[in-house]
Amino acid sequence: MRCGFVQKQLLITSTLLMVALCPIGVRADGEKRELTFDKDILPIFRARCIRCHAGVEPKAGLNLTSPSSLLTGGDSGAALRIRAAEFSLLYEKISSGKMPPVGQKVTAEERGLIRKWINDGASGVSNAAVVDRSADVTEVEHWSFHPPVRPDVPRVRQADRVQNPIDAFVLQQLEEQQLTLAPAADRLTLLRRATFDLTGLPPAPDDVEEFMGPDDSGDYERLVEDLLASEHYGERWGRHWLDVTGYAESAGILSEDRELPLAWRFRDYVIRAFNSDKAYDRFLQEQIAGDELTDYWTAFESDDQLSEDVVEGIVATGFLRTAADPSRPDFKTIKNAASQYFYPTLFDTLQIVCSSTMGLTVQCARCHSHKFDPIPQVDYYRMQAVFMGAYRPDDWVPQMNRRLPIASKKEKEAATKKNAEVDANLKKLKSELAALKTAFTARLFNDRLNTLPEQIRADVKAAFAVKAETRTKVQMYLAEKFEKTLRPKDKELDAALAEYSEYETGAGDLKAKVAVEEGRRWLFDEVRALYDLPGEVTTPVLLRGDSLTPGPLVEPGVILSLATPQAFQWTAPSTEAKTTGRRLAFARWLTQPDHPLTARVMVNRIWMHHFGTGIVDTPDDFGVSGSPPSHPELLDWLATEFVRSGWSVKHMHRLILTSNTWRQRSRVTAKHRAACEEVDPENRLLWRQTMRRLEAEAVRDAFLAVSGTLNPKMFGVSQAVARQKNGEVIVPAGADQNRRSVYVKIKRLNPETLLQVFDQPTMSVNCTQRSQSTVSTQALTLLNGDTVTRAAHAFAERVTAEQSDDPVGRAVLTAFARPATKDELNLLSRFFEDQKTQYHSEIAEADGRTPETLAAAEKKAHVDLCHMLLSSNEFVYLD
Amino acid sequence: MNPLQFLSRRESLQRFGSGFGGLALGTLLGKAASGAMARTAADAHFQPRANAVIQLYMHGGPSHVDLLDPKPLLNRFDGTAPPDEVADDENRTRNLMGSPFSFRRCGESGLEFSEIQPFVSQHADDVAVIRSMFSEHRNHEQAIWMAQTGMTTEGRPTLGAWTAYGLGTENRNLPAFVALPDPGGASVDGVRNWSSGWLPPHYQGTVFREQGSPVLNLKPKQPRSRAIEDARAQLLRQLNEQHLAQRPGELELEARIDTFELAGRMQLAATDALDLSQETKATQKMYGLDDPTTESYGARCLMARRLIERGVRFVSLFMAGQPWDTHTNNNDGTKKCCQRTDQPIGALMTDLKRKGLLDSTLVLWGGEFGRTPAAEQRNAKAASGRDHHPYGFSVWMAGGGIKGGQHYGATDDFGYRAVENRTQTANLHATILHLLGMDHESLTWPHNGRDERLTDVYPARVIEELLS
Repeated sequence: MRCGFVQKQLLITSTLLMVALCPIGVRADGEKRELTFDKDILPIFRARCIRCHAGVEPKAGLNLTSPSSLLTGGDSGAALRIRAAEFSLLYEKISSGKMPPVGQKVTAEERGLIRKWINDGASGVSNAAVVDRSADVTEVEHWSFHPPVRPDVPRVRQADRVQNPIDAFVLQQLEEQQLTLAPAADRLTLLRRATFDLTGLPPAPDDVEEFMGPDDSGDYERLVEDLLASEHYGERWGRHWLDVTGYAESAGILSEDRELPLAWRFRDYVIRAFNSDKAYDRFLQEQIAGDELTDYWTAFESDDQLSEDVVEGIVATGFLRTAADPSRPDFKTIKNAASQYFYPTLFDTLQIVCSSTMGLTVQCARCHSHKFDPIPQVDYYRMQAVFMGAYRPDDWVPQMNRRLPIASKKEKEAATKKNAEVDANLKKLKSELAALKTAFTARLFNDRLNTLPEQIRADVKAAFAVKAETRTKVQMYLAEKFEKTLRPKDKELDAALAEYSEYETGAGDLKAKVAVEEGRRWLFDEVRALYDLPGEVTTPVLLRGDSLTPGPLVEPGVILSLATPQAFQWTAPSTEAKTTGRRLAFARWLTQPDHPLTARVMVNRIWMHHFGTGIVDTPDDFGVSGSPPSHPELLDWLATEFVRSGWSVKHMHRLILTSNTWRQRSRVTAKHRAACEEVDPENRLLWRQTMRRLEAEAVRDAFLAVSGTLNPKMFGVSQAVARQKNGEVIVPAGADQNRRSVYVKIKRLNPETLLQVFDQPTMSVNCTQRSQSTVSTQALTLLNGDTVTRAAHAFAERVTAEQSDDPVGRAVLTAFARPATKDELNLLSRFFEDQKTQYHSEIAEADGRTPETLAAAEKKAHVDLCHMLLSSNEFVYLD
Repeated sequence: MNPLQFLSRRESLQRFGSGFGGLALGTLLGKAASGAMARTAADAHFQPRANAVIQLYMHGGPSHVDLLDPKPLLNRFDGTAPPDEVADDENRTRNLMGSPFSFRRCGESGLEFSEIQPFVSQHADDVAVIRSMFSEHRNHEQAIWMAQTGMTTEGRPTLGAWTAYGLGTENRNLPAFVALPDPGGASVDGVRNWSSGWLPPHYQGTVFREQGSPVLNLKPKQPRSRAIEDARAQLLRQLNEQHLAQRPGELELEARIDTFELAGRMQLAATDALDLSQETKATQKMYGLDDPTTESYGARCLMARRLIERGVRFVSLFMAGQPWDTHTNNNDGTKKCCQRTDQPIGALMTDLKRKGLLDSTLVLWGGEFGRTPAAEQRNAKAASGRDHHPYGFSVWMAGGGIKGGQHYGATDDFGYRAVENRTQTANLHATILHLLGMDHESLTWPHNGRDERLTDVYPARVIEELLS
């Protein structure tokens, strides 16, 4: 091996010596000239390549004689990628010596020319003229591509179990299999289930006690109404929606993971929208085109102030700003930044829009026509064109600069005028302040000079009077020695000047005036919005999804195979128009009442959060490779009912929560279970309610709620998180430490530990369905983590304060929303006594046995008891 | 689409419930896998050559021409403009910069290492250097994703997560994939370096620390006596058992009970695994634990060996920040990195060998790219630095199944571009999976409507030449 190694090395060295002797830097003309295809490149191809790569049937399908065929390329794809020679097939083949296979090789100089030409932008090469459509799926008859048709409500044998049509549809399918619904769950189970489902919080112990009373007919319906009216409802269901939008409060991609200080406004918008039961069609329209819908630009130009509607409209477009976007102004200097950073943000945006609203996996069609669904690549780019008016990869606006002030033009102008005044005043005040300081600094110099021994005073003065570089040696010595005394700097100077009361008063006055003046500055709140940018909009199809191989241009449009009654309607506005209207046209198309997917996808999502599984159990894929619906007629009935109700999400909750289907028990008899599991082991037919684990936020919020420390403060800037020395990321102590989890800042690279271990998604694009893991890090977090440990202490204090005669019973009631059983009370009391004794003996070793040490032991035992209740299965599972 | 949809509830519980167990080899599942499941699992493997991996990830991009890829011409034309062959059209580099370090032939094989790796080079005959790597991005994060997850897009599972998914762990009390970050600070790209992406979180790297509690929240902040701890655990078990008794057949509940038991066992196992005081003074010295320069990396190398020994499948070692990112003072910076890591890595190799573990443990060394053969010209201060360089660079592998004492592929005479046996990241990944007994095309996970794999759409090839 050694031998061969050395020989090869020598060989390479000798052949390449010549190359190194003629570096590009000493090119004869020395002139910077753009290389062109015709003058510089074509001659090389003619000399070396066209014996094979030309004519009617060029080798490997690649014709090198025409600049328009280079991006279309041949059998192996594009011959080159613009401005990326090192990653171009053409350069790869010639630099590795594979091409030309015979005859004279391309010389080093020629290689350099080709590389430079490509890297300079491949002048002369035009977009590929055609897109390969041979793989388009055209002949698919798929249920979800046709509008839902409202089915008749079926008649079932057990009509007495039908509370509303949901039950009829579910029973129909159960009865076909000779099965039936499980009995209704008891009232306390329903109380806990409904409260968590709608608000993400446990019921208050007082509510539990009330529900333990006699059955008051109608109180369950009232409960549902109360929960729907609760402000906590929006926090819970807003969070569900934030998942599908991919909401995060940091930019992602780069390690700096820059914070997005304005993102929270969109989160607040979502919470408010759910709380006010904003019609879902309007909700989508605002998020996709709120600026166009409310005519932001006209309002901006002509109104005195922006109306609340307009502000809400621009805040809503935050939906289109959730995709990871690390762009900064200095990205301009990055080669091919559009391809590497800007296009990916646009790709993610389209994926978020389509998976959240239509349940389609369109991202496949970015590179090639979808393999299963009738989504051709061209349709993908038509949809991309919808967002191209705002997101322009070739003329990108860095993310932090994409924001709008909450201000009209008039206000902005007035503010500019006023702030110019403020600036002028400030300038004057600051120069006065500087002059004052200069005067007193001189005075300080003289005063301190006079404290020096008289013999050297004149010499020192002289040394400071001349420039440093002209000082004599003696002067240098003196200057150095007395510099600190005579000319103190920074803090020392300030301290010395403070001795002059005259200066202090004068400077104090001026500083106060500066502060007043600063306070007069007119500043506007800002919104992280999406809005169209001026200029012509072009959208090329990208061959293989690669923006360095652009293809033909397309106009905005949608997936044509979706059988919508109304087509996508858009006409190009005048060139002076401030916005292109593309997004509003898309939003209107998307929210037409008979859209095949929009209503179905949303009702399926609502269903999923109430039953654990959707009617379609692939909520982000209603396409051919997604799952078929378990109850197709029910899905369509719900979808049409949703539209009929005016797209009211709360109407859907009401229907579901009052159905017997939802109210079933999850704990069923062995007989019922055995009969059903034989036919339907996965419970797709809904022969019982599914036991479900609380999501991350509900777990944390429940700790805070039962411990009585939940801070109900809504909205506004998110609570920062901090990484502790041990690596745990928590919300640090402070007034707002215990706000609900939806207000905890979501940093992509620094997720809060408790939330993360309970599967809060880390946003790379968006999350259409959370995964659920059951792992030992959860156990460790519960046993020893920060949040739960604090909660256990507060919980123990709370129940003792609320019911000192029976703190254990109160703890069970608060944690599990039911009274403790006798067995439980025995178990817990025994634990409490034993643990107290143990603690006391441990404490006694150091501090002896006193009433104080006993109280301390009691307290610790009680905290342990509460801690175990919080860690138990019953606490984190819903029946 | 949620990947778990492809598994029935019962199946997924068998897999995740107990907290451990890989899918691909079906070790815990036997042949009970359903059709749906078989789709996701690597099948009919090869005889694995290695059953564990130690990844020495070198953040920042080590300078290949100063370490593993000698370029005499670079020294000869030091200070001159690069020839057409290797000119950089971004004009970031204008002066070729030779390496101040002399290269030496080492071992029987004569594989070359520069002088700043006196320890690793002693294992030349076990090391295979790939000199023809190339990557697709010039920026750290994206290039790290390429190196760690197979593509330059965010959010994919790392190699360690794929390994955990494929192989599970041999030790039920320790996780399959352990990350050992630098206590001195986070590495660039932070927690994504051991992310499971869209694989279940179960497969993400568990961070073990050399100081304080080895695993986050392994121990309470206020210590509790054994008696207290046991009583708490017993109460929890009793509460959960009563709860379960009223809900027979709820496998999730059983699974969750198991995780608490496992947490208890992990407290012991992890504490034991990370107790370096169990090692002899001589071993500690060999890893450099007696020298502040090598102490930190040495401790992680020794922890890695102890974890592998206990059945952990994949251990990733990291350094704070990105020390190999030598935009300025390349020579000094590169040398300092070696001073911190070379002795510990050499010791790790020696130690693995004498314990008979090297044959079954794959050691990976490398970063996300290399560095420019010419001096960086972006600013005057950077004159002696080297910039990021994805077009050609080196990584090395050793141990389980690797034919050592060789270099594979070559860059051109200036170390600019990989020209011979050009090696894309997917080939490296396919080879690593192959050595672990897995086929890169079969190890898949359903996500977003397609079966995803580590090598994605790349036509990858196992590099047979590297195999022993």
